[in-house]
Amino acid sequence: MKKLLFLFILLSLTGISCKEKQDGKPKIAVVISTLNNPWFVVLAESAVENARKLGYEAKIFDSQNNPATESDNFENLISSGFDAILFNPTDADGSIVNVLKAKEAGIPVFCMDREINADNAATSQILSDNYSGCVEIGVTFVKALNEKGNYAEILGLVGDNNTWARSGGFHSVVDKFPNLKMVAQQSGDFDRNKAMEVLETIMQAHPDIEAVFCGNDAMAMGAYQALQSAGKADKVKVFGFDGASDVIEKIKEKKIVATGMQYPKVMAKTAAQYADEYFKGKRDFPQRVPVEVELVTAANAGSYQ
Amino acid sequence: MKKGIFIVILLVLGYNSIYFKKLSEVRNQQQTSFDFKTFADSLYYQGILKSNNAVELSQLSALVQSNPDSAFKAYGNRLGIGNSAYFMVKGEGKVIEKQASGLKVVTDTHTILMVDTKYIFGNAIRDASGLVKLTDFKTNADFNKLSEALNNVIREKAIPEDLKAINVGDKITLSGATKLSKTQDKSTTLSILPIRISKTE
Repeated sequence: MKKLLFLFILLSLTGISCKEKQDGKPKIAVVISTLNNPWFVVLAESAVENARKLGYEAKIFDSQNNPATESDNFENLISSGFDAILFNPTDADGSIVNVLKAKEAGIPVFCMDREINADNAATSQILSDNYSGCVEIGVTFVKALNEKGNYAEILGLVGDNNTWARSGGFHSVVDKFPNLKMVAQQSGDFDRNKAMEVLETIMQAHPDIEAVFCGNDAMAMGAYQALQSAGKADKVKVFGFDGASDVIEKIKEKKIVATGMQYPKVMAKTAAQYADEYFKGKRDFPQRVPVEVELVTAANAGSYQ
Repeated sequence: MKKGIFIVILLVLGYNSIYFKKLSEVRNQQQTSFDFKTFADSLYYQGILKSNNAVELSQLSALVQSNPDSAFKAYGNRLGIGNSAYFMVKGEGKVIEKQASGLKVVTDTHTILMVDTKYIFGNAIRDASGLVKLTDFKTNADFNKLSEALNNVIREKAIPEDLKAINVGDKITLSGATKLSKTQDKSTTLSILPIRISKTE
């Protein structure tokens, strides 16, 4: 009797599962590097919203900035029968293996915002043009400092290509001006509190810095907080990157000099549209799609929310 | 005795399996061996200067005012998604100011241009040229390095040479890249990153 009941339940479940696959729309997984940063929450929620608008079931997986968790997420979503992945990687090199696993399972992966160092793994990569954005910040930086002075740089995560694209764009300009001297370069892991601590330590060794360039706006806010505590907020110029609303407000108040406005919603929407096109049979996608970053200063901050 | 040999082997293996390097060294080792400088030289002298894809400034300005979508489609180059595009332009004008940062020029149609000879950075010239594609390079970082090498040739070699012969009051012909945005105020003074400036009289 028990055996019969077990078989009945098993058959019923199999039946439900098959019915879902036959009748249901494809399922989209949104795998995000971290949901601890509001910027990535916007990216994740926009991706889910756009996928649902297109009629698909969508679920967020948080990798907690941990490649091992990301790997577990991929194993789970592959075995759970997801049909496409909108992916924000934790590591440009370390995440390649996960994308390849999905590819082997026949699941297309569309990278959002963060690049992986392979051009044959993801179906497409939709990425902020971090380099160009930071070139413009670099020019603004040089002009704001009249081409001279000591400064510090607070980098993002060292394993993330965006960190180096931003730093590279900035230095492609600033390094051409020999009277601008970088006295410290440390990672703040894209984290507000860590950036605050990092700048506090830097200021102990280099109390004479005139500016700080931060690889994202969360760190710019942390740096500004450290400067406020040290009574130097009016003396040291802060530059960020992202276009976060609190930094835009600080730019309007002339407390932060500039940031680069990124468009996470555009990236998320494009990734969801690409997944939709994939389901409808399209296979020819551009490997990398740069999304413009706009310079925001006190001159145009009013145009941004 | 056996234990001793085993410990020695273990120590040797352990010592040789762990090493420390600076992060910057590791990153530099990952860089490609592609010769960006030679490629940029060739792109500038054999490609960009000989290319005939620049639009007359007056023609572009008129079209941007009357039909911006058509202007962006016909003459703009945008890699990926965004409100702006880069344009390769050419025109004539008279130098009314010569500053450390560049030239202020007035055209025959009384348009004021800023020719930025100091801050020739970024991807404006590379992208306006339309001669190289993102897919020609394996990573975005490599594609950006091409811009850096190209800008170095123009900013440090070609334009300083051109500027030696240019003074206030001179009539010049110039060609270069400009960035226009569909959302920008149309009254904004046009800024051009030059690829060539020459005196006409």
